Amino acid sequence: MKRNLRFSSYTLPILALAFAVAPVLGNNPLSRPGLLQTMGVAFVYGGLALTYDLLFGFTGLLSFGHALFFASGIYFTCILINHKVFVWWLSMIVAVILTALLAAIVGASSLRTTGITFAMVTLAFGEAGHVIVNRNFFNLTGGENGIALNSDRVPQFWIGVVNTKYLYWTALLILSFVYFMIWWITRSSAGRVFAAIRDNELRVQVLGVNPKNYKLLSFTIAGALAGLLGTVMLLLAGSAAPRFASADLTISLLLMVILGGAVTRWGAVLGGVAYSYLTTRMQDFTQSGSLHHLPKWLSGPLSEPSFSLGIIFILVVMFAPGGLSGAFYRLRARVISKK
Amino acid sequence: MDTFILMGITGIGLGALYFLIASGLTLIYGLMGVLNFAHGALLTVGAFAGLWFATKVATATNTTNFLLSMIVGGLAAGLIALIAEQLVITKLYERHMDQALVTVGLALVIGAVLAGWFGNDLHTYPTPLWFAKGIKIGTAIIPADRFMYIGVAIALLIGNWALLKFTRIGLIIRAGVENRTMVSALGINVKRAFSAVFFLGGFAAGVGGVLVSIYSNGVSPLIAGSYLIYGFIVVVIGGLGSVPGSFLAAMLIGIIKQYANYYVTGLGDFVVVLLLAIVLLVRPQGLLGRVNS
Repeated sequence: MKRNLRFSSYTLPILALAFAVAPVLGNNPLSRPGLLQTMGVAFVYGGLALTYDLLFGFTGLLSFGHALFFASGIYFTCILINHKVFVWWLSMIVAVILTALLAAIVGASSLRTTGITFAMVTLAFGEAGHVIVNRNFFNLTGGENGIALNSDRVPQFWIGVVNTKYLYWTALLILSFVYFMIWWITRSSAGRVFAAIRDNELRVQVLGVNPKNYKLLSFTIAGALAGLLGTVMLLLAGSAAPRFASADLTISLLLMVILGGAVTRWGAVLGGVAYSYLTTRMQDFTQSGSLHHLPKWLSGPLSEPSFSLGIIFILVVMFAPGGLSGAFYRLRARVISKK
Repeated sequence: MDTFILMGITGIGLGALYFLIASGLTLIYGLMGVLNFAHGALLTVGAFAGLWFATKVATATNTTNFLLSMIVGGLAAGLIALIAEQLVITKLYERHMDQALVTVGLALVIGAVLAGWFGNDLHTYPTPLWFAKGIKIGTAIIPADRFMYIGVAIALLIGNWALLKFTRIGLIIRAGVENRTMVSALGINVKRAFSAVFFLGGFAAGVGGVLVSIYSNGVSPLIAGSYLIYGFIVVVIGGLGSVPGSFLAAMLIGIIKQYANYYVTGLGDFVVVLLLAIVLLVRPQGLLGRVNS
């Protein structure tokens, strides 16, 4: 019976494979570069949402500074490349290592607090990062405009519109890698301690395990993986910009995880991919003029995507904790119990 | 020396603005354990309500009308805070994480409504002429509005203190911050204190919104941006739940930020976060906070 309740272990690999072969299968939406780019970005956000799920869903850490590590991956890679410090692959690796270090330092400091205070403190650290890239210290980060990636120093199969499908595949690959890593971590013994901390930190402590070390481990892994995703985002966006470091980005991650459903892994990925895809499309919808016949006091707020998003978010938190994937499992459990 | 005094007083003025935000945050957190992410949105609500009053109702720009518009801004923000609390927060009793999450949603919705109604452009806030005048202290000339921020913050601190000290609801709030379970066990309706705190916090944020819109030369849905984050930093450094702690921390941060920014542009934000990290390492409960038993 318990086996039936599990999400089939074949579904995800098949889905990933379908996405992987779609661009070369001839006439379908994914054979056009425009959508490939959008989907590539969506895959990166899906992975990013998953790393946030590791923190929030699996370890119970409500961090508001996660964008810092995503941005750190983007900026470090871009700076190392543009200043000709290392070649691409080495830059990528060094950027991820530096991001992991940064996550360890920020984590060690902010994990001295817990719960809601932790949320506030991580928000402050995240915002400090946002300010630093915005201010263009030492002429490194380019200030408000960000820095364009010097594409001559990037492997050439990623460059140019014709090669968008390689970017798409890279994004899909990195998403699969992050998924695998988090699947592996959350099922490992450390992952079980993460969940135990989320459910009852005091009990973990009483059992003789130091929760702080495990929380720091979770924070650092999530940060490093976010940095890795950042390096791919740099390729897709072609530049490093302050918006990748903003608290708004972290809040979107929170929305993705809550709406998709925390702790199920695929829920966060689905939330991230769908959110990223829909916000790109939503702009077309709100500018299409379909709202013009409504009174102005209503059409104004409705044309702001964050209005409907905020309301849906509030309703999900209040009435449907578990989001989409939670609802799926509940429905499935009901169907099975009826049989 | 002139710039030194100017920077110092501007810093205190800025600190006063931070305090207006932080006082509500710290009380709401202290009493209910709720982290209110919608507090920045309340600030914007106050600014727009004040602007509406100053441009549509009492259009003559003089000091009385300005003060009235400030109170209107405060009342509007307080009212929205109260509605939000009744409609959403109370439904999630004791679910602190979810309460914090819901306020994120509220912030999105309120921000979207304001942006939809007023657009993202900067609207000028009509102010009495004397705001722009300089007041001489020694040889330094200080813009007069700085003193108004400080005055309002001090008035609010005193009002807050008097309310907490001398009224029954204040007594319940203080007792609730100390030990909420015990207060409810004694048969006192703590929920009414919750609503009062939400209203007061919203009121302070609304008043702060009007002042912020003068400090940043106009009203837009985006003005709250960094103030909420500074509010959080102030609350943590001052000690969660402590209003005097917030006042102290707000002044400290305002001054340090101004001086650091004067010597190296943009260094201010960095120094403030550094200060936060140091406080967390040395005194995690904040300047005037107590360790929870």
